Amino acid sequence: MDYFKNIFESAATVFEGLTITASHMFRKPITIQYPDRTLSPVIEMLPSRYRGFLEVDMKICTGCTLCMQACPIQCINIEIAKKTPSPQPSPSRGEGDGGGVPMRLITKFNIDIALCMFCGLCTEPCPTGAIRFSKRFENATEDINKLMFKFVEEGKPVAPYKKSSG
Amino acid sequence: MIRTEEMTISMGPQHPATHGVLRFIVKTDGEVLHEVKPDVGYLHRSMEKIAEKVGYISFQPYTDRIDYVCAMTCNHAYAMAVEKAAGISAPERAEYLRVIASELNRISSHLIMAGVMAMDIGAFTPFIHAIRERETVNDLFEMLCGARLTYNYVRIGGVSFDAPANFKEKCVEFLNHFEPIIDEFNRLISFNKIYVERLANVGVVSREDAIAYNLVGPNLRGSGVRFDVRKDIPYSIYPKIDFNVPVGIGEAGKVGDCYDRYMIRIREMKESCKIVRQALEQMPEGEIMAKVPRKIKPPVTEVYSRCESARGDMGFYLVSDGTDKPYRLKIRTGSFSAMSIVEKIAPGLMIADLVAFISSLDVVAPEVDR
Amino acid sequence: MIQQLSLLFPMLPMWLVQAIWCGVVAVLLLTFFSLFAGPVSWLERRIAGRIMSRIGPNRVGPQGIIQWLADGVKNFLKEDLIPRDADKILFRFAPYPVFLGVTLTLVTLPFSSLLIGADLNVGLLYIVGAWGLVVIGLIAAGWSSNNKWTLLGGMRSAAQMISYEIPLVLSLLVVVLMSGSLSLQTIISSQGASPVEWFIFSNPFAFIAFVIFMISAVAEGNRTPFDLPEAESELVAGYNTEYSGMRFLFFFFAEWGNLYVIGALAASLFLGGWQIPAGWRNFASAQGPILPHVFEVLMFQLKTWIWVLLIIQLRWTLPRLRVDQLMKVSWKYLTPFAFVSIVGTGLWMVVFPEGWLFMKYLLLFSMLAVIGYFVWRAIWQLRFTKSKADFKLIV
Repeated sequence: MDYFKNIFESAATVFEGLTITASHMFRKPITIQYPDRTLSPVIEMLPSRYRGFLEVDMKICTGCTLCMQACPIQCINIEIAKKTPSPQPSPSRGEGDGGGVPMRLITKFNIDIALCMFCGLCTEPCPTGAIRFSKRFENATEDINKLMFKFVEEGKPVAPYKKSSG
Repeated sequence: MIRTEEMTISMGPQHPATHGVLRFIVKTDGEVLHEVKPDVGYLHRSMEKIAEKVGYISFQPYTDRIDYVCAMTCNHAYAMAVEKAAGISAPERAEYLRVIASELNRISSHLIMAGVMAMDIGAFTPFIHAIRERETVNDLFEMLCGARLTYNYVRIGGVSFDAPANFKEKCVEFLNHFEPIIDEFNRLISFNKIYVERLANVGVVSREDAIAYNLVGPNLRGSGVRFDVRKDIPYSIYPKIDFNVPVGIGEAGKVGDCYDRYMIRIREMKESCKIVRQALEQMPEGEIMAKVPRKIKPPVTEVYSRCESARGDMGFYLVSDGTDKPYRLKIRTGSFSAMSIVEKIAPGLMIADLVAFISSLDVVAPEVDR
Repeated sequence: MIQQLSLLFPMLPMWLVQAIWCGVVAVLLLTFFSLFAGPVSWLERRIAGRIMSRIGPNRVGPQGIIQWLADGVKNFLKEDLIPRDADKILFRFAPYPVFLGVTLTLVTLPFSSLLIGADLNVGLLYIVGAWGLVVIGLIAAGWSSNNKWTLLGGMRSAAQMISYEIPLVLSLLVVVLMSGSLSLQTIISSQGASPVEWFIFSNPFAFIAFVIFMISAVAEGNRTPFDLPEAESELVAGYNTEYSGMRFLFFFFAEWGNLYVIGALAASLFLGGWQIPAGWRNFASAQGPILPHVFEVLMFQLKTWIWVLLIIQLRWTLPRLRVDQLMKVSWKYLTPFAFVSIVGTGLWMVVFPEGWLFMKYLLLFSMLAVIGYFVWRAIWQLRFTKSKADFKLIV
């Protein structure tokens, strides 16, 4: 009797499967038609904690290099130069800064996004929240060098942020 | 007796059924297999050596990559190992969040397994349905920690983010939506006669073999052995939670066949839903991160921590020499031991059975090689 | 038709008229074939998309309707790769028997009482024979690629085609038994327009024969659940692993063309083909000589497309059988039942020479009941997860 039971079971379960697939023809697809047919831009749909590309706000970067030390794969590269400022006071900083005191300057702040694994370990120790995740995620490129994000332009060193001065 | 000439076929590393980069050297005379040799190592990334170089905290994101289908439990197991060595204890709310995240991830991992199993048998629709549900879990994770695949959520001493304001409602909404979907999935594919016939009595792993070959997790339970780290060596908050451990009973064929292993996963998804519900109910308010020094320096010690991952008993054996980097870290994963049994069970199966057998073991290639 | 044509062009010799006529018919059929296979590939992908909660191709043209043209052009432009160690002549030759086997069957398919390539008096035999060509191409493709996976695919297709040919032909015999002819037009003419006059409902054994015919035709067409020769998760892509470009396309042309052949055969052999009710015919005849044929063509297409859609839906629902189970289904289930249905039909025709109207209605209404239950069950399935399916995906 297994013989007829098999036939019956096959027919019944195939029928059941067909009803399910038939019912799915009358449901809305859930696909989001990225990138051009979304209801709102994808970047607005992302949750607040989304981990996109890293970005650094150089205005509040203290140059402490904690992020560089935290990075497990050394994709952050910061160079600090100790420099004695020239006698005339710099226009950007106040006059009291000058003198012969050696001053730290961030000459290089590179993040190799091609290497980055978006783990978030660098954002946690940052004392001012200067390094953080943006929501940007689209940066396909043919040139891998374009994935080296340079937050300090060459030849234009940035003075680190100091709590007392701001 | 007529004997035909055997041919040796290399199945993989680029074969659609070998999820990732596994390779099997198959000797066959047509359809029936005579010998199958698993050839692992195509995805070896020297995880254990990396751990010796990068230190305790920096290794945390690497644990995501051990088993990317179920990364939360890897995170959890590693965090537990270091906590045990350094004598840190995570706050209770963090433990609850860990369990919620792990169980949601177990659901998503089992969904992948169930879907891929159906796809290997030839049905494409269940796979996409499973992926569709997994996307919802991923959305929840994205809300929780900002990532969809490699979470790095469970940290040494706690978790990295507290649950967002509406996380609980979203979770419950998902579970309410998901539980009927499992039933629909079952009606669509699990109880389908062709599907049952393809899986029942195929690749039977006996109880003795399962223990001897060190199978763990759902593969072991599929062979009728009731062993679950969550129940038998309880950790985190699992003792406070009421759930069942499904065991293979041979409902369509013999105990320990592919269908048993498959149904165990389906049942575990339901159990995971139960666990998440309870954990969401019981979750207390409070801290989510214990005080952890910037450089963890455990005393000279050796610890072993076990965690029930979606692929079974996941172990981290940690030898500390008092510095901020582990002296040795051994990762013990379920997929690796599952691969060893292929050689024993496969002769006599057909090529189509081998595909079903491998996917019923739920092998994830990076977890095999690490 | 040919006589009329030769009267039209009295200066041409008879054989030339015949040859030109053959050429015209062949071009027309091939055009129809490609115009069917292309859009149906788009349709299948759209249906598959909806079944899987996806959208499917919707970018090329309105709703993606000319996606198949884009795919065709792409495949034309692809390099025609031939593996170095392949049997080159056989490799180049292999797609054509597959394509030919399916297109040749179109010759005898009756689209209406007039539109038919050639109403052979051995039409059914011809279709079965032409269809058999497919297996030659598949084995040739599997062997000549010099790849072990394609070889396995080719062997599987040989085993499958040969063993499913038997229940297929046996189930066709039931129709031959009832109509007493092998010509498709005669088979259709011996049925009527109303469902109770169709062969499928004429007796329970004919119904069994119909089910057997559908199953084994799906197997002949290499569609899921019988797509073992190209089982993508087991044999990479089966016999067409090494093919690319236009040659690859030919296999798929044949696959989708097969869909139409299966549907058309089911419609004409069991469901009364192009027969339209007498009322419609009288109405149409009053309007002119062309309209009845339009109605007939539409009726035939309607019946065909039901089965085409069903086979497409089956493909996206069911998993694949294993080789030994495939053989088991053929030899242990289909073939015995095919014999039973032949003997049963013969006995039935002896016992009820005029047919038994009660049984016809019973079969018709049980069929309708099954369809009704299907609709109800599909709505039930929709309700089962509907209220929760509105879960917003983007949190």
